[in-house]
Amino acid sequence: MGRLVLESVTKKFNSFQALENVSFEVADGEFVCLLGPSGCGKTTVLRLAAGLEAPMGGNLLLDGNKIEGVNKECGFVFQEYALFPWRTVKENIEFGPQAKGLNKNECDRISKHYIDLVGLNGFENHYPKELSGGMKQRVGIARAYANNPKLLLMDEPFGALDAQTRNLMQGELLRIWEKEHISVLFVTHSVDEAVFLGDKVVVMSARPGKVKEIFDVKLPRPRIRTSLEANIIRDKVLKSLGMEIKLAMKDQ
Amino acid sequence: MKNSVKKLFIVIFVIFSIFVAGCLQSNQTSENSAPINLVKMSGQEMIQKLGTGEIAGFIMWEPYPAIAVTKGLGKDLILSGKIWKDHPCCVIAYDEDWYKSTNNSDEILKRMALAQLKSVEYINNAKQSDSPDHEELINYTMQFGGMTDPAAANLSLADVEFVYNTNIPGTTTFIKNIQDFGIFDMGKWNQSGYKNASDYANSLVTNNYVDWAINNKDADFSGISLQEPVNVRYGYLINDIHELPFYIGWQKGYYKNLGINISIGEGAPFQNGAFEMQKGFKSNTIDIGSLGIPPVIIHRINSNDFSTDDARVGVIAGMNNEGSVIVVSNNITSLKDLSGKTVGYPGPGTIQHVLFLMAAEKEGLRVSN
Amino acid sequence: MKIGEKKKEVVINLLSLVGFVLLWQIILILTREGIFSIPFIRLRDIPTPVETWHALIGSMFTRIYGPSLTYGIYNHVFASLERVIEGGIIAFIIGVPVGIGVGYSRIIGNIFNPIIEIVRNMPPMAWIPIAIFIFVSGGSIFIVFIGVVFPIILNTIQGVRSTDERLLDAARTLGASESKIVTKVIIPSAFPSIMTGLRIGLGVGWMAIVAAEMVIRSPVGLGYFIWNMGDLGRYSEMIAGMIVIGVIGYIMNISILLLQRRFIKWED
Repeated sequence: MGRLVLESVTKKFNSFQALENVSFEVADGEFVCLLGPSGCGKTTVLRLAAGLEAPMGGNLLLDGNKIEGVNKECGFVFQEYALFPWRTVKENIEFGPQAKGLNKNECDRISKHYIDLVGLNGFENHYPKELSGGMKQRVGIARAYANNPKLLLMDEPFGALDAQTRNLMQGELLRIWEKEHISVLFVTHSVDEAVFLGDKVVVMSARPGKVKEIFDVKLPRPRIRTSLEANIIRDKVLKSLGMEIKLAMKDQ
Repeated sequence: MKNSVKKLFIVIFVIFSIFVAGCLQSNQTSENSAPINLVKMSGQEMIQKLGTGEIAGFIMWEPYPAIAVTKGLGKDLILSGKIWKDHPCCVIAYDEDWYKSTNNSDEILKRMALAQLKSVEYINNAKQSDSPDHEELINYTMQFGGMTDPAAANLSLADVEFVYNTNIPGTTTFIKNIQDFGIFDMGKWNQSGYKNASDYANSLVTNNYVDWAINNKDADFSGISLQEPVNVRYGYLINDIHELPFYIGWQKGYYKNLGINISIGEGAPFQNGAFEMQKGFKSNTIDIGSLGIPPVIIHRINSNDFSTDDARVGVIAGMNNEGSVIVVSNNITSLKDLSGKTVGYPGPGTIQHVLFLMAAEKEGLRVSN
Repeated sequence: MKIGEKKKEVVINLLSLVGFVLLWQIILILTREGIFSIPFIRLRDIPTPVETWHALIGSMFTRIYGPSLTYGIYNHVFASLERVIEGGIIAFIIGVPVGIGVGYSRIIGNIFNPIIEIVRNMPPMAWIPIAIFIFVSGGSIFIVFIGVVFPIILNTIQGVRSTDERLLDAARTLGASESKIVTKVIIPSAFPSIMTGLRIGLGVGWMAIVAAEMVIRSPVGLGYFIWNMGDLGRYSEMIAGMIVIGVIGYIMNISILLLQRRFIKWED
């Protein structure tokens, strides 16, 4: 389970039209990447899906239920990690289970499982300030998973990492995703990343934010970044996106 | 980092244990007999706090004791005459700097003593209830003491013995007590060069002016007035019935008749003698003033700069003997009952402070101040 | 290398202190020799460092002369600290919840803000006269309370309001209720600010207690001690008391700072 459907979603901030008639779907267990120039409303889509904002028109449905109020069945992974600095790695991961009121043993079991999964053994009692960027984001992912969500919302989770770590983390994310297999909506501004990760790439255009084109990436996994097929898709996506970026720059 | 935290904890621990030790030490002394706590306050506050029960008693100059008693807030426990019969109290003193820089200062001081003599004679006559001046005196007393009740004025007059003579033996006794009670800064005392208490008393008090006044007390004012009227900046204590002779002389024109214009010095009237010594005499904004003899004794030593002798003053005449009272709330029957309780006083180094210590010494009590 | 530099700093700090004391001594010697003077200031009344040191040692412990018992500086320090700590605790208990409420809720903010904004601009010393009249005892603790409570409230508000929005979003998506968000996110996040408020507040309270003790008289307390010594013209004891006040204030500030660093390990 974990099917997210957006039906002609509209959102305005004061007079600024952030989203207009956005419709697409994340199928159960699907990995969807959302791509677009800055200011096109990618993050707004995620916040709507998380229930942190309410749409002005249209519907967001998770497994057929309308999302109203904070969506507690999703896990959110933030670009700047947003870890609780006063909590250790273990305590950060246990935040969700604790908020649900699970007892200490269950919390321990869950945190141990996800610490193992993201490979942070030995760092349980470290504070976030003692971790590198990549390790922090592992904690962020583990924390989101620990809440047993149906849908994972990721807002440029690797945007602040260096290229090496970024590639490594992308591999890690896919490994975890394949193991847990829940739907992912992944925002990025990197075409490479989108094509490497996604089953589907949704390209958005700016002002107002609209869905411009949807690409299915039917490449077998594990994928090879430099394969010919990948290059062809990347080219198409880039073309679609390139026009948007030019337009967006003209506007500015 | 960790190291410095450790060190800090050690330092905190050491400081804390010293505090605890200090506390235990002070508790030990209080187990034997809890000290009476003297707390400085104004006369108004004494009356107010005796009423609310915040203090168990106070020692103060008249009229405050009389006001408290007539209001029914407390009762007289010990009149200061019972602590020490005929003890000197307020005196008239002059600033040595003024004395040196003024041409006819000796002549002015003689007239000041004479005016004092006249005032005291007036008061002592008018004190009798059958005197024709009695009502006038009561009015002056109420004005000067800030009283509204003639009964309080009568009561306060009864407790004070108005005098003009100087008292060298009494001054010597005060100096000895002040020394014994640890009030002198001994470093300063050694700098002062006085051999002993009576040496200091003799340097402090001058009899000549009162002697002259006695010889000329029946002379015609017009014969002995100063030719050129002179201006004297005078300092006195607020609402202090001890200093009533000054007010009488000022109001009835005794000073003016002798050629002296009284102007009230900057900062006067003062809350207590320590203020008068430091704010008035020391900084030369007061030429002549009336105040308790202990502040004079203490400050000519403690706050004096002996290279300029800026706190040096001389005593030329008495104002009064006795006239302070230990007033207590109605449930207190002896000085012992005040142990561990709070008692108001006008401040450290005042005559009331010294008298209270003397009273406590007689009873073998401790006083914290 | 780093340790060497630390040592260097300590040496410079100590030298500056020694230099100041020397300067103090030299100026006073010159003044007493009649070489140096400043108009309208009686420099001669200031004791030398040596006299001050003797006075400090001499008045450290309780002294007894016949019936007269003069409390030592220890007792005065202890009494003043006790009042500051009591006032500080009350201020903490009241200030933190108010600060959290005002910082967290716009409605509570609107209710309390006008009062806070006006009252916080009344210096603790302005409360002394009314404290004399309305408090049967503990007036000086009240003055400390006034001094401590506003820095705590203001810093708590600031700490609550500067809670990272993303942390709030994260907590919400992780299923935390609003009450859990306050206790598990806002309060821990504001904690360093609250501690800073406490530290600043106690500094203000320490200054306020000395002023309060000068007016609201009690037998022990450093403010009372220096005022009494001034009344007796014992200026060296007075200056010694002032130095003790300064040193204790400094130690208090540093202690809280180090405790804060010790107990908030997660802070950058």
